[in-house]
Amino acid sequence: MTAAGTKPEVLVIDDEVQLRRLLRFTLEDAGYVVREAPTGRAGLVAAAHRQPEVIVLDLGLPDMPGVDVLRRLREWTDLPVLILSVLGQEENKVAALDAGADDYLMKPFGGAELLARLRALLRRIKATEQANLLTVGPVEVDLVRRTVMKSGRPVKLTPKEYALFHLLLTHRGRVLTHRQILGEVWGPQLEGQTHYLRVFMMRLRRKIEDDADAPKFLQTESGIGYRLVTDAS
Amino acid sequence: MPAPALILSLPHPPRPGRGGTAAESDASPRESPRPSTFWVTHSPSWGRELAEVGGLIGAVTVAGWFSPFDFHALGHVYLLAVILLSLRVSRGPALVAAVGSALVWDYVFIPPRLSLSLLDLDECLLLGTYFVVAMTAGQLTSLIRAQQRSEQRRERRATALFHLTRALAGARTLDDGVAAALAQVDGLFEGQSALLLPDEHGHLVPHRASTLAPDAAALAMAEWCWRCRREAGRFTATSPDADCLYLPLRGDGPALGVLMIRPPAHAVRSSPRQHDLFEAFAAQIALLVQREQLRSAGERAQILAESDRLHRTLLDSVSHELRTPLAVLQAAAENLARDGAARHPALPAEILTATRRLNRMVGNLLSQSRLEAGGIRPLLDWCDVRDLVASARRELGDALAGRPLRLDLADDMPLLLADAALLEHVFTNLLLNAALYCPAGSPLTIIAGLDEARGRVYVTFADEGPGIPAGLRAQLFQKFRRGESRGGNGLGLGLSIVRGLMQAQGGDVLAEDHAGRGARLTIHLPHRPHTSVPQE
Repeated sequence: MTAAGTKPEVLVIDDEVQLRRLLRFTLEDAGYVVREAPTGRAGLVAAAHRQPEVIVLDLGLPDMPGVDVLRRLREWTDLPVLILSVLGQEENKVAALDAGADDYLMKPFGGAELLARLRALLRRIKATEQANLLTVGPVEVDLVRRTVMKSGRPVKLTPKEYALFHLLLTHRGRVLTHRQILGEVWGPQLEGQTHYLRVFMMRLRRKIEDDADAPKFLQTESGIGYRLVTDAS
Repeated sequence: MPAPALILSLPHPPRPGRGGTAAESDASPRESPRPSTFWVTHSPSWGRELAEVGGLIGAVTVAGWFSPFDFHALGHVYLLAVILLSLRVSRGPALVAAVGSALVWDYVFIPPRLSLSLLDLDECLLLGTYFVVAMTAGQLTSLIRAQQRSEQRRERRATALFHLTRALAGARTLDDGVAAALAQVDGLFEGQSALLLPDEHGHLVPHRASTLAPDAAALAMAEWCWRCRREAGRFTATSPDADCLYLPLRGDGPALGVLMIRPPAHAVRSSPRQHDLFEAFAAQIALLVQREQLRSAGERAQILAESDRLHRTLLDSVSHELRTPLAVLQAAAENLARDGAARHPALPAEILTATRRLNRMVGNLLSQSRLEAGGIRPLLDWCDVRDLVASARRELGDALAGRPLRLDLADDMPLLLADAALLEHVFTNLLLNAALYCPAGSPLTIIAGLDEARGRVYVTFADEGPGIPAGLRAQLFQKFRRGESRGGNGLGLGLSIVRGLMQAQGGDVLAEDHAGRGARLTIHLPHRPHTSVPQE
């Protein structure tokens, strides 16, 4: 994964022993070093001591709310954090993402999905390696010349559409909340205007996707935001 | 001398704090008493009636003095005047009219004029007969009129009671009944009224339909009346100078509550008959309250039994439905542990299907319990139907495999103001429902558009399966109702959750059988136009 050949370290903060065991099994198999913490407090201590590359944080911890753990973490580090949630915690999930979590997974989840999410999170660290030319399925984006080509033909995007696409591209594989996208593309005072986002996303999909009604790349996370999936099969 | 029939005392001046404060302005009836149909509004005034008597007899005398008629004819005119007076005045003044007219006639007209002395026996007989006839006719006329009036009052009372009974019998809830009863009370007694019923802490609380808001003093008085089961307040022996009348609602045991009536200020007194009417009203209202208490006790028992039944159904159904995928998981895991994955290449897929099914079931159970606990607070935001369909498809994965899904969106399809996560759950449940009841490979269509006439946005899920049996349609959205599905599985919660989630967002769901060509389930939400989106 990493260039130096050292194994990336993952800190798993979850109170369920069986889940931690399974995560350890999956992650070690994929070449990660795994640290475990059963409570929020232990997790905060371990994060400060070990400085892992990425943290997997359960939202339902026995000693303190996962969102609070996240806020405490964000006071001193912007380590990538993947949160785990269960059904019925929609509000917490959005709150955690807005508070700086980088992505989320709903329990139950598959091992492959977890590894894909972690890969996307770790990619962000290697920001310096960012290429000028990105490919999303049949679409090629030149980040320097700000041009988009689909199957060899130029696609005309308006400045806002390009800004939206660019934001998702630079965070590809990760979920971005409505608030984050609106704040980034339209400015913080328009963070609540979700319908802007819906309308522009529809236009962008018509230009980028083969079938705008069944998007492969520009995917919706219901009630949360959008995610650009680059390795869609 | 007959006792004056309708005299008691002057009205008490209204005293603040002694009774209630009217919920509605009652200034006008206090300032200008309207002619009352129920209450005795004034003490009959002898002065005025005697003046009438004197006036008419005087007028006849003066007219007779200047007329050419002799005293015989004038005697008949006097008699006529006495009878006319008897129609207007009470019995005392009528007697005065008879005596007075006889004396004036004798003094002024019977010869010798301007003298009380009578000349002969004929004139004595004439005067005597006149006196007896005038007195008898006057008294009889007065009596007949009084009887007629009392008859009218009795009829009015009977009608009022009849109207009340009818209103109460027609009332479907306690609130309806109380509102109807108090309206009748207000109308008949021309005042304001309140019904005070005990709350769960044992304090009297005025019912919402009351037109009178009792103050602390009035509540204390009502409390006394309720505890002692005795009437109090105006027109009674206890605190007669209060503003209102307090009547206990007597039931089998302790009083059920208190009926409080504030008569208009110009009401002077109540007769025993009127009192009976108050009591009859109180008794009718007591019956209503008692009936409602019995009914709600019965309903509670029924609800308990029903919820007990539901819980048992839930437990049976859940344990059965959960065991099926669990059995698959256990068998598959054991096989894999014993033989390794190489010998059972299909088992991982089975495990995945079973876990998905378990996951959906748990999701539905969670939604249902949150719906029942009222724990769902929709976070309304703008949603695109395409997004919802796409994520529902992604969520369902291979459960929809082999079924062509067509999305038929109107060009003017607006954004929906809804909770995206809840609506996605609705979409998955409706798609899964169609998949469950339709033969493999049959197509599904989602049609969405704007119904401008009804101001709502709709999304219809149409399948080409067997449709919905007419008998099932009414119970389709009740929980634990399942049709004859091909797989024969499911908790029967899917559509009940759909309805619950839609209603939580201000919409609803409807089912129709599409003329033998499958079922159509339509969800709708109120249409809310959003502000315009800037081009750039």
